[in-house]
Amino acid sequence: MPPSGGRGPIRRVEWGVNMANLNGRTRLENTYDAIVVGSGITGGWAAKELTQKGLKTLVLERGPMVRHLEDYPTATTDPWQAKYPQGQLPPEELNAHYAVQKRTGYTLTEHTQHFFVRDDQNPYTEESRYDWIRGYHVGGRSLTWGRQSYRHSPIDFEANAREGIGVDWPIRYEDLAPWYDYVERFIGVSGQNEGLAQLPDGQYQPPMAMNCVEKAFKAKSEARFPERRITMGRTAHLTEPTEEQLSLGRTKCQYRNLCIRGCPFGAYFSSNSASLVAADRTGNLVIRPGSIVTSLIYDEKAGRASGVRILDAETRQEEEFYADVVFLCASAFNSAWILMNSTSSRFPNGFGNASDQLGRNVMDHHLGVGASGEAPEFADTYYSGRRPNGIYVPRFRNLGDAATQRSDYLRGFGYQGGASRSGWDRDLTKPGATPAPRGFGAERKAALSQPGPWVIGLGGFGEILPYADNRITLNHEVRDQFGLPTLSMNVTIRENEIAMRRDMQTAAAEMLEAAGFKNVQGRDSGYAPGLGIHEMGTARMGRDPKTSVLNAHNQVHECKNVYVTDGAAMTSASCVNPSLTYMALTARAADHAVQARKRGEL
Amino acid sequence: MLNRRDALRGLALTVGGTAIGWAARAAAAPALAWTPVALTSGQARLVDVVAELIIPATDTPGARQAGVPQFIDRALADYLDKAQSDRLRAGLERMDADARAAQGDIFVALTPQQQVELLTGYEREASTMGSGAPGESHFFPMLQDLVTVGYFTSEPGATLALRYDPIPGAYDGCVPLAQLGRGWATR
Repeated sequence: MPPSGGRGPIRRVEWGVNMANLNGRTRLENTYDAIVVGSGITGGWAAKELTQKGLKTLVLERGPMVRHLEDYPTATTDPWQAKYPQGQLPPEELNAHYAVQKRTGYTLTEHTQHFFVRDDQNPYTEESRYDWIRGYHVGGRSLTWGRQSYRHSPIDFEANAREGIGVDWPIRYEDLAPWYDYVERFIGVSGQNEGLAQLPDGQYQPPMAMNCVEKAFKAKSEARFPERRITMGRTAHLTEPTEEQLSLGRTKCQYRNLCIRGCPFGAYFSSNSASLVAADRTGNLVIRPGSIVTSLIYDEKAGRASGVRILDAETRQEEEFYADVVFLCASAFNSAWILMNSTSSRFPNGFGNASDQLGRNVMDHHLGVGASGEAPEFADTYYSGRRPNGIYVPRFRNLGDAATQRSDYLRGFGYQGGASRSGWDRDLTKPGATPAPRGFGAERKAALSQPGPWVIGLGGFGEILPYADNRITLNHEVRDQFGLPTLSMNVTIRENEIAMRRDMQTAAAEMLEAAGFKNVQGRDSGYAPGLGIHEMGTARMGRDPKTSVLNAHNQVHECKNVYVTDGAAMTSASCVNPSLTYMALTARAADHAVQARKRGEL
Repeated sequence: MLNRRDALRGLALTVGGTAIGWAARAAAAPALAWTPVALTSGQARLVDVVAELIIPATDTPGARQAGVPQFIDRALADYLDKAQSDRLRAGLERMDADARAAQGDIFVALTPQQQVELLTGYEREASTMGSGAPGESHFFPMLQDLVTVGYFTSEPGATLALRYDPIPGAYDGCVPLAQLGRGWATR
């Protein structure tokens, strides 16, 4: 998707700027209190917090505008309105334009392609395979995210220090807990409190329901493995919206399960449906789409960043914007890219990179391993509605006690899963499989008009340790369409993750067998780094400027008016989906920035 | 249950007997009510007949009424890659060639029973070919998949043969199947 293309005109700067007069503009006209780079799940939060606390804030987004509701062109299309079979893009188009984005196998369809980048226009180099799944537009991946929302636990924040891995987090759970509360109340998370130390409770709206098979699974598996709790997925969908959420134009989940196309009910949290709306209502927000931030401007005399340089994606003109404080929320890799590309005599090796940790310690969650089974005894039961959520099994390994201690690996994993009946497409030819005779005629038609077998599955999400040599680097040889340097990826999983995967498969099969399911099969369908779409760690937080890029408030150690609050900040990965933590870190950092600015510290 | 078209063909065969030429018999098939883009008109008539054999009209519409032949024509025009298109077109040619070899006439001119015999043979053949390289796989499973997808994602297929609810509004995780009667079109 070209940044200048797509839906609707870009919403121009509304405030104080005459676009026709690029060269005559004064510095004052391009000066704000705060600049936020990126409009995805953290950029939206930074914008909301900074504007609500009174800062005139400019959000710079490299892609085009996506307006809530108006720019969800496929949100209500029916199956028969698809241009292509099952909405799948033609193989030739996939190969030519989406060689990476197609690798998930489920995200990229004709219904969603406008929310994913074209790989041929956004190149990077795979020194080792890295699946970098991206969306460049206002709202970023907050439109297409999986919405599972879990808190990091106290043991997650302590693990690095206890085990001597990487560096210690400079914060503990207690530092972030009130911000988790704050974020959950605003975004709306449905879920069940379980009272588990390894998966802290939160501020939840009523949980979604389990189906018959999941309830049976929970009862029987927990009887055999009581330490392996089975709970409803905690997901950023409204089930009992608050006044605040209703006032933003959001309402409760309608169980359509077409979330990835954008929700016409505003039922799941996105920047577009919620945080940017709230920010806009303050009157302090300006969004400038089509603005590719290329570097931070460092003021040597003042010893601080004075703003950012951009390349306008339409005019290809360079321009500068200025502010007291800059939030980098461009996603883990792109925020790191901006820092790496911001060199000066003060920062010859990248902005704030005295530690040489910038671009290192890349983490994701490894997945694609688990087990499945069938539940023929439930043949007479079915369900109605399409629940955009599943069940969750919180981590049950290495919790700090002898009973859960593993000798073969550190850390742990959670399972996401669920039970459902297969549909009419169950006898389509599987790729690479020999097609069995299926028959044809009225009998087959009648059979396919009935639901297929109940299938229950568990898929692991495992923690990846921070390894210094899992890194991304700036590549000046390969340039993008704007002539900008690109990234090279070199990330692999190691012994710890591989040992964990064996357990992930075995333990899942054990649970399904304990519940009496039939035809239980463990499976490891492989994992390539990036496929979890949870890239993290490229500008980690830490206590020591010699070994980390950011401090306890997400400030660049060496330049305190630059904050980085997306996945780049993560010191360790936990095994839970990270977006909730990014949001809590962002809200906390924004509060810090506002207070520090008032005190004149920035 | 014979549809109108089978009845017409039966009538033509009875009246014309064995003396009638294949062109005349093909002419007995009703003209297509749509204009193919990627298929020849002969291929379109063949696809029309095969699709209805795979998913016939019963108490709910069949593939023909659901527009599946047009769906396949569109897939050939702008979805399938070259290898897949070539395989499908070659398969259609082969069906007529096999029909002539076995029965002396093109596929659409055969009796439904003769047609089903040929299709059964293709299924058997495909299942013994192994997965092989994509380029070497059999045309018939691909055709059968296209018909199945085209049908169950059509409006009649999704809303009549299956159940479709664009805005469920709620999730009920334990419903007696008998109360719903059919599978959901989407998940």
